[in-house]
Amino acid sequence: MPDRIALVIWVLGITADVCLIATSLIRGSFLKYFFLNLYVILAMSADLSRQFVLRTWGLNSVEYHYVYYYTDCLLTIALFVAVISLASRVFAELKLDKFVRITAVLLLLGTAGFSYGVVAQSTQRLSTSFTNELSQNLYFVGLVLTYLLWGAVLKLHETRTRLVQMVLALGLYFSAYAGSYALVNLASKYEAVLYLGPLLGCFLPISWSLTMLRHSEDSRLTPARLVAVQR
Amino acid sequence: MSRKMGVLVLAMGILVGAMGLKTMVSANAKSTVMMANGCSPVPPPLPPPKN
Repeated sequence: MPDRIALVIWVLGITADVCLIATSLIRGSFLKYFFLNLYVILAMSADLSRQFVLRTWGLNSVEYHYVYYYTDCLLTIALFVAVISLASRVFAELKLDKFVRITAVLLLLGTAGFSYGVVAQSTQRLSTSFTNELSQNLYFVGLVLTYLLWGAVLKLHETRTRLVQMVLALGLYFSAYAGSYALVNLASKYEAVLYLGPLLGCFLPISWSLTMLRHSEDSRLTPARLVAVQR
Repeated sequence: MSRKMGVLVLAMGILVGAMGLKTMVSANAKSTVMMANGCSPVPPPLPPPKN
């Protein structure tokens, strides 16, 4: 990947992260959406440390590989917690937030156990294989959870604009990753597909920043209208 | 069915669904599932360790 394009995408991502944190602080929503902000702060820290290692040791180095995948695992866990925090807010009115949290803990433990079971036979690089496996498995759990949350938002006629748009953005993010993965396998010979991952990494902070900027906590909408067919 | 049982069944259902989806997606793939958080370039896979 040419350095210049990667650097432009990296700067865009860091700027989007800073924008989201600044917007959250200015609009007084930092603590209301704490786990979303925590994910973005961790993503920004991870990207800064990755860039340092990339500049020092290079893209093909073992050091960059380890830093990338270990921070990636940490970020996937943080994203999972962010999805659960949104689910807690959606189900809070039904007084089911406690059960959402118990389900989340069970899912995290189940995914960790399953990942360990998969890599337990491996004798070399056990911790690396485990973090990769856990990261990928948690990603798919997050994907399923986000679609369930998407369904719940429509079924419960959730009207809080910010919450709806944040859940929609997460759904789009996970779907876009699935699409980009298919594209990487279909067209791996084209170098352009390698930019998709880092570019998608900028999507969440940008969309969440726009949501924070454009809508206040009191904004309301009717998601049922989005799916109603006009006759 | 009690609520506790419901939570357990829901968690197991999500886990089974997610792992099934992963197996389905990665079955015909040439590479491992690309997962990337953040905007840094994805590193190429490591070469197998030397014995």
